[in-house]
This record gives sequence, C-alpha cells and structure tokens, in this order.
Amino acid sequence: MKPDSTWRAFITPFVLLTGPGTIFISITLLLPLLTIVMFSFWRTESYELYADWNLDNYRVLFGEAAYRTFLIRSVVSAALTSLICLVLAWPVAYYIARHGGRYRLLLVLLLAAPFFTGVILRIAALQGILGPGGLINMTLGLAGFAPIKLLMYTQFAATIGHIYLYIPFMVTAIYLSLVNFDFALLDTAKINGAGPFRAFAEVTWPLNWIGTSIGTVLVFIPCLASTITPRFLGGPNATSFGMSLSQQFGETGTWALGSAMSVVMFIFSFLVIAIMSLTIDLRRSGFTGVGK
Amino acid sequence: MSTHDDTVSLSLQDICKQFGPVKAVDGVNLDIRQDEFFALLGPSGSGKTTLLRIIAGLEHPTSGRVMVGGQDVTYMPPYHRRIGMVFQNFLLFPHKTVAENIVFPLRMQNIAKAQRGERLSWAIHLLRLEGLEARYPHELSGGQQQRVSLARGLISRPALLLLDEPLANLDRELRAEMEIEIRRYQKELKIPFIYVTHNQEEALTMSDRIAVMRNGVFEQVGHRTEVYQKPATAFVAGFVGQSNQMEGKADTVNGSLLAFTWKGTKLVVPHAGDVKAGDPLRFMIKHEDVQVEVASKKSAIPASHNHLPGKLRDIIFKGQTVNYLIDLEGGMEIVASGSPRDMKLSVGDLVFAFWPQEAGASFRL
Repeated sequence: MKPDSTWRAFITPFVLLTGPGTIFISITLLLPLLTIVMFSFWRTESYELYADWNLDNYRVLFGEAAYRTFLIRSVVSAALTSLICLVLAWPVAYYIARHGGRYRLLLVLLLAAPFFTGVILRIAALQGILGPGGLINMTLGLAGFAPIKLLMYTQFAATIGHIYLYIPFMVTAIYLSLVNFDFALLDTAKINGAGPFRAFAEVTWPLNWIGTSIGTVLVFIPCLASTITPRFLGGPNATSFGMSLSQQFGETGTWALGSAMSVVMFIFSFLVIAIMSLTIDLRRSGFTGVGK
Repeated sequence: MSTHDDTVSLSLQDICKQFGPVKAVDGVNLDIRQDEFFALLGPSGSGKTTLLRIIAGLEHPTSGRVMVGGQDVTYMPPYHRRIGMVFQNFLLFPHKTVAENIVFPLRMQNIAKAQRGERLSWAIHLLRLEGLEARYPHELSGGQQQRVSLARGLISRPALLLLDEPLANLDRELRAEMEIEIRRYQKELKIPFIYVTHNQEEALTMSDRIAVMRNGVFEQVGHRTEVYQKPATAFVAGFVGQSNQMEGKADTVNGSLLAFTWKGTKLVVPHAGDVKAGDPLRFMIKHEDVQVEVASKKSAIPASHNHLPGKLRDIIFKGQTVNYLIDLEGGMEIVASGSPRDMKLSVGDLVFAFWPQEAGASFRL
C-alpha cells in the first residue's frame, strides 16, 4: 500500500475522529490523575508540598484505624446502595420498557428531572424531610410521638440520600438494556414450560445483565467517592472516605495524604469494574457483536 | 356440548377476540384430529396469528372455549399447556447453545438429566443437527436456526405443535426442502401440527386440511383438494390458486348450469343455487382449467365447452408450467396454463381459449 493511501484510509480519520476527544481527556483526566499519583509519594508541611519521595502517606492510610474504618464504611455503603438501587430500579425500568408504550420516552426523561437542580440543593431538601426539624420528625413531634432517631444524622439517612441521588442512573442503564430486549423471547420461554419467575431467571435477567452491571458500576463509583451526602445527612458517625479525602485538600491542607487516598479510591473503583466485567460472558449475554 | 371424542386433539368453540373496536377473531369453531396437519391460510391481518396465540395461551379469547385433549384450557397459562411453538423469526435464546435451547422445555418440566440427554440425541438426530450442539444461535444459518426451533418445539412431544409462518424468513430453495421435511415429521410423530401461513402453495403442499381465514372468520374449512377445487367463496377462489375472474350478469338458470353474460360475451357456467336472472355474478376459473387451441382447429373443441376467440399476446415460461396470456375480442384478457411439453403455439397466433361448461365456480356479488 502506498503511504498516502494509508494516511487516507486510516490515519486521517483516526486523527480527525478521536483527536479532539483524546486531547481533552489527556488534559482533564490523565494529567491530573498522574499528578495525583505523583503527589501521593510527596510530603506536605504547613500547607506546602515538598517533593521528597516516600511511602509515609500510604503507611498512615493503612496504619491508622480511622482511615480503614472510613474506607470499609464507604465500600460497604456503596455496595449496599448499589444493591438496593438494583432491586428498586428493575421493576421501574421493566415497567417503562414493557408497558410505557408511547409514554416511554417521557417517563425516562422524568427520571432526569432531579438533575435540573444541584446536588447540594437536593440533599438539603432531603435534610428538610429527614432531619431533626424535618417534615417527618416534626409531624411526629406535633402528634406527640417520639422522633425517629434513625433518620437523624445516621448512616441510614446517608444511604437513603445516596439511593435517591443515584437510582436514576440504575433505572436508565437497565431501561436502555430492556428496550433492546426482545420480549417475545419471554413468550417463547412460557410456551416452553417456564413460569413467570423461571422465565425471568432463564431469559430476562441473563440477557440484561450487561445493562444491569453497567448500572451497578454507575451507582457504586460515585457513591464510593460521595462527600456531600454523608456530610449533610450522615453526621459525625457516618464520616466517609470521600469526606475525609476532601478534608485533606481543604481544612487540613495535607495534599499528599489526600492524593494517596485518591489513588486508593481509584484502585477500588477500578477493582469494581474489573469484578463486574468478570461476570460478563459475552457469548452468554446475547451480545452478538463477537464471533461473526 | 357433545361428549369428548378421543381422536379430537384440539377443539375451538365459538372463539371471539376483540381488540378495542376490532374483531380480530369472530366466532371460530374448529376440531383438529390427533394425526392432522392443519393449515390456517389467510392474508395478513386476517386473524390467523391471533387465533394461534389464543391456542398457545398467549392471548385470552374475549369469548369462547379452547379444549386440548378434552380439557378446557381457555384460561390456563401457556406454561401448563404442553404445546410446542415455532416462530417466523425463530426466537431462539441467544445466550444458550443449540443443545441448551433444545432441552429447555424438558428442563422446565424438571425431567431427569439422563432422560434429557436421551431426548436431546433423538431430537438432534431427527432434525439432522449433529455437530452443532455447542454452537450459539448467531453462529447458525437461517435454516439451521429453524431446525433448532423445531427441535425445541418437538422435544417434549407436545400435545400440539403450532407453527407461525416458520419458513417465511428462509430463501425459496430451503423453503421447498423444509416444507417436505416438516410434513414428514408430522406424519412420523403423529402430533397434530397447526401451520399458519399466508402462502397458499405452502398450505397446499404440506397440510391435510386447510382453513381459509379472512377478517376473523373462516371462509372455508376443508381438505386441501376440496379448498382448491371447490372454493366456497369468491375470496377463497381468488386466494387459493391462480384464477381468471369475470364479472357479469346471470341470464337464465338451467339445472346446475347458468347462462352468463360477461361484457357482452355469452358463457355457460356452473352455479351454487340461489341465483335468479339478472343477479350480478363473479365467475372464476383456474388458469390450468382453461385450454388453448389454434383458431384453425376450432372444430376440435367440443360443443359442451365455452370458447372465446383471441390472440396470443405472450407466453410466460415458468418451468413446470407455461402461462398463455390471451387478448380476447372486446379488450378483455384471459390466462390459460398448461404443460411446457405441448408448447406448440407462438406469440401472435389466433387462438381459442376454451373450458368445460361445468368447470370453475360462480359467486353472487
């Protein structure tokens, strides 16, 4: 092949199509990420970064019980939130995809309605419902009942907040999978002797597992990094890894330790994606983009 | 109702199905015997697929009853009916291998693994799918996919196999081959097959009996030769086989025959009774019932035949048959078909189209 035809057939379209995106991603994601990795091996003193390479930040992170607690708390909370979102989102997505008819698009767009306002406003509003002077406990108080302590500055309240914030991602991911699912396969399963539950387990669930796992990752990762929700709703006993991390970059000014925390969080996010992708067998997912 | 007859496998009683203002199925009665290959033939929108879905249990009739083996299954969910079904778009489970797809009904019935294996090799052998067991559906050709779908439909020896245009997505050659195959399975297994199609050739080739359906009702139910040769309505006559259609007026009735005027041409045609002079009629005669002779041999045409003079406009060679397109005097056209063996005519010849007076059928308009 002549050089100029290689340029025309491959290199020019590659550069034109992927170039702008690549440059953007490099500047906004890769560079800061590499900087963070670098900082995590540095040292901060009196709000200044010093480039003496060491592993102290990681020693502190894994040595001090508080950080371990924050990390475990955040991972468990993110896993629990993903699971609850999954259970709650499936029927909603299923209903919209199967019975939404011509209102399907409208119903899906409604899921995006909460995004019209900012996260802080939404969480503050939730605080106005769950908090000590919030709608629920105030009503209970007026009626002469004791307030529900579980709703006031607890991990439980923070989890409700997370579910509220991230469930639209889960519904959307499952919905997008289900709209491409051929519901006639369910009829086929039923004619061939499968009751509703078995038909779901044998056909609907495995054929929509990719969408479901994408939804799970989309909920898990922001939930793991969550800062504002635990601060507003969780109180001091629900301090999350993300909250502690943001403190390092703010109040305490220990950027190097914060960077090390970011690296750990990144590794955990990556692990989750890796684990989820291990559960996907492309040949057994109904995904026909392979092989042929 | 009558007592249960053992040879009746499926019985439909006054089935109606209404979707909003539309009557998709409107009062269908049908008994299907144990060893029967039955075709439901009709154009799209005639209600045949709806009827099949009612039999399968995927739809409930608005009124009427569905009986399988003497048991009322009208409201029984599909997974308890023991009915097999094969679809036009195959509907194999894309995430399961050929073997897993085929044994699916047995697994759902919780049949022991050893027996499943036995039945699987029987089905694989019957449908000639050896060596494809571990493949996934997207790795198969259309014909192979339809075979897997048939194997899945047959493996549990269902009380009934429903086929919804199973060959419509296959190419012509494969279709012809599969028509013969499917009929063979039915004859071997002695399971009643109900075969939905809009293709009259398919229905005629494969089935024992045919129901011709239009607008939710059966226009005619009968043996395939009966439906072909003695159409009950003008619609059946037009839909099954290739016919010439002539619209005109009844003149005088004479026994089983009738004098008929078609755009000024006098013909003698059969009638089904209930006809008076002056009634508007449509006379229909199949292409192969019309014969052609060159004009010079007019004397060879018997007196008991209708004969119309014309000019041979074109000859359409179709392989097994030949169609003669004849322009008649008065601007009309008639088509005759015959065997290519006695093709001694050529385009432009002056000819006579002729047929016995008792051939064809007339219908009141």
